[in-house]
Amino acid sequence: MIEPLKVLIVEDEALLAMELESLVEEAGHSVVGWATSSTEAKAMVDSTEADIAFVDIHLTDGPTGVEVAEYIGEKKNSMVVFMTANPKRIPDHFAGAIGVIAKPYTMNGLMSALRYLQEGVHRPPPKSVLPAGFTLSPAFKTVWAPAA
Amino acid sequence: MDWKRTREPADAWHMTDDLHVEHGKGDPFAAAIRATRMSMIITDPRQADNPIVFVNDAFLRLSGYERHEVLGKNCRFLQGSKTDKATVDLLREAIAEKVDVSVDILNYRKDGSTFWNALFISPVSNDRGELLFFFASQLDVSDRKRSEHRMTADKERFEKAVKERTRELEAALEAQTTLLHEVDHRVKNNLQMISSLIVMQSRTIKDAATKKSLTTMLERIEALSTVHRRLYQSKDVSRFDVAEFARDLVTDLLTASGRAEIKSTLDLEPIVISAEKATPVALMVNELVTNALKHAFKEKPDGTTAGRIGIKMSQPDGHFNIEVSDDGVGMADASGDASFGMRLIKSLARQLHADIEWRDAGPGTKVVISMPNEPQQKGNVS
Ligand SMILES: Nc1ncnc2c1ncn2[C@@H]1O[C@H](COP(=O)(O)OP(=O)(O)OP(=O)(O)O)[C@@H](O)[C@H]1O
Ligand SMILES: [Mg+2]
Repeated sequence: MIEPLKVLIVEDEALLAMELESLVEEAGHSVVGWATSSTEAKAMVDSTEADIAFVDIHLTDGPTGVEVAEYIGEKKNSMVVFMTANPKRIPDHFAGAIGVIAKPYTMNGLMSALRYLQEGVHRPPPKSVLPAGFTLSPAFKTVWAPAA
Repeated sequence: MDWKRTREPADAWHMTDDLHVEHGKGDPFAAAIRATRMSMIITDPRQADNPIVFVNDAFLRLSGYERHEVLGKNCRFLQGSKTDKATVDLLREAIAEKVDVSVDILNYRKDGSTFWNALFISPVSNDRGELLFFFASQLDVSDRKRSEHRMTADKERFEKAVKERTRELEAALEAQTTLLHEVDHRVKNNLQMISSLIVMQSRTIKDAATKKSLTTMLERIEALSTVHRRLYQSKDVSRFDVAEFARDLVTDLLTASGRAEIKSTLDLEPIVISAEKATPVALMVNELVTNALKHAFKEKPDGTTAGRIGIKMSQPDGHFNIEVSDDGVGMADASGDASFGMRLIKSLARQLHADIEWRDAGPGTKVVISMPNEPQQKGNVS
């Protein structure tokens, strides 16, 4: 049994954050915080311990998701997965993030992604197949999904 | 300069210069040159500075000078400040090398007005090859030049207008692309919200049938979501890779059903369809696959519901074929056409001009859909 994930949600849309929280908890993980802006997110990164941060690109203070990912990357206390309807906004280097879950995701797609990330964070590399709608960053691709 | 003193008396051309020489007037060639409407002059390169030794009346009319004002002078008095230097150089070289030359040159009349002169100069030599004269003809081509200029100006104006229009269109396209991305972003977010609302609602519902019906609704909306997620991933937003979509959809539905004993067989050619067909095709495939999952596999005595779902997509000449098959119970007991799922499938088929047929696959069911598809561009979706 792999230990559950501690998740930080950085998402400006309340409805989506709420639903994401339910799904994360249904899957047996815990949510340590929800931030709607980059300022809030940075403060939360400083005050909480999370394994994974789900970060939307567009937040209440603009397209600041990448900046949040960079901040988390410097702190090195958790890993980042972007969650956005606009994956083209993500820079090529992914700001150190594992990858991106493209919106709109399906409930099952998200569940599979959580399972995949749980394995990847606690027992890398993940054994499950890469879920539909989940794209790995180039850096993580070489480690987690090397070409056969 | 006194040209008369240095002239060669033996030469007939020369004689014609002298207005008072009678036999010059009797020469029919000389008479023709005097009378022609084409302006003509003759210069004598053997005299210093190659002076004019003959002009006809046409030249005087063209240039506005009197005969005595031009005889003995070099032709350069016809040039002025706006005369092209390079053209003058060309004339000078040709004269120095004693060869023919033909140029359009801007010349000045006595009154200072200008005209475009289609000038032709050719050297005239005697039998021994000695250069005797230069013969020059002038034609006023100001009208032609004017229309040439107008054409050049028109062309430049058109080119400028085209450039401007291209710039405008490029800017409009960029604005449109930005707008498209913005709308796309919103559509995707809204689809995500709709799904979330249904899931949240569903959590609060106790009644199994209602819950089931919400799940079916969620599946349909998620099929649309999957279309949208895939639609703008390629560079060409008007094309849709339907095989990749089917792979996503089946994986998703199978894992969501939580029934690991049901396997899938995917036989998918890479097929690209136009974006407006993407949604109906996706919904139809979703209905057929969920039907197989829901109805085809009955529980066996050992409590498992093992089975296989197959999807095949192919494109034999100009057609796009989809086969969704299962090895389940078959549809002999099916209750007819009244249900919503079936009606939806058949309406979507009509929209796509598709033929759809349910076949008894013994065991199981095979649904075969065939529709016309535009020819594929070689290569991929991007
Ligand atoms: N692959 C299949 N194998 C066996 N029976 C099937 C299959 N597909 C459809 N059926 C039968 O046909 C009926 C009509 O299907 P239809 O999709 O219209 O309705 P439904 O799936 O019961 O409900 P919904 O309207 O929500 O889709 C089903 O109730 C089922 O009995
Ligand atoms: Mg159905």
